[in-house]
Amino acid sequence: MKRIEVKLSLPVVAPLLDLMKDSSDVLEAQIAAPITLDDIDADFREDWRAELLAGQHEELHALMGLFNSDFFINGVVAFDEENAEIIVRACSALRLRLRRHDLHVLEDEQLESGGVDIERLPAGLQKPFMCYVFLGTIQELIIQHLDGAILRGPTGEAGPVEDDDGSADDFDLDKD
Amino acid sequence: MSNPAPITARRAEPLLAGAGSRPGLAPEEVALPESAFAVQGPWRVVVLNDPVNSMGYVVLVFRKVFGFAEPRARRHMLEVHEQGRSVVWSGLREQAELYAFALQQWHLTAILETDEAH
Repeated sequence: MKRIEVKLSLPVVAPLLDLMKDSSDVLEAQIAAPITLDDIDADFREDWRAELLAGQHEELHALMGLFNSDFFINGVVAFDEENAEIIVRACSALRLRLRRHDLHVLEDEQLESGGVDIERLPAGLQKPFMCYVFLGTIQELIIQHLDGAILRGPTGEAGPVEDDDGSADDFDLDKD
Repeated sequence: MSNPAPITARRAEPLLAGAGSRPGLAPEEVALPESAFAVQGPWRVVVLNDPVNSMGYVVLVFRKVFGFAEPRARRHMLEVHEQGRSVVWSGLREQAELYAFALQQWHLTAILETDEAH
């Protein structure tokens, strides 16, 4: 099973976790994407919404579970074929929440281009923006290295077959 | 995009592993009358642009949900990015709903449209 381990800087990441947890809690009852269900058959609308929320809950639970007691000892999070998809989706949900709630004052173009100087942001926006970038970086890493696993699915039922040498690729995001 | 099955539509066809299915529907084959497509009209699954999800993420989702080859997934992603929207699938309503649901599970802003709305 292909696996990547990412060494994170605890002093940088730990302060972001409270915000991630708060945002995650809000998403217990709120779909992250700005969708309306008006076009959906009324008979299915509530079930539809409930299933989206249940899936979102599972994703966020998996993401926050990465930052357990072991993480605070070694600063390492690991992604593999089993959690790649769910973590990528969780990152998307949290980024959408951060954008709508914490970073709404920023222009779309700023976020899309990444042309934001974090030190010039108001103090109250710096942590949400760092969190937004951090989650985006996690997504990029997973997509870059485990996209084949995501396309195959957890049971390997479809998609291209990726080389599997059983080894772990190591990355170091430690900024210190 | 072509309609894959104008006469026999698959209901709740498994779209992707782990994506779930339309609530309340069990997988089954349903034979539709030949006029069903005309009666129901073509429903379009439209993905709207958002400034959050990255281009690579959107390409991955299109490949995963629809099984698009990468160039096709990339074309739709660029259409979303540059024009604000892309029609990624069209056909019978039930299948369109399944695709929209799957896309929403990936947190894309997916909507359904029909000619009747215009």
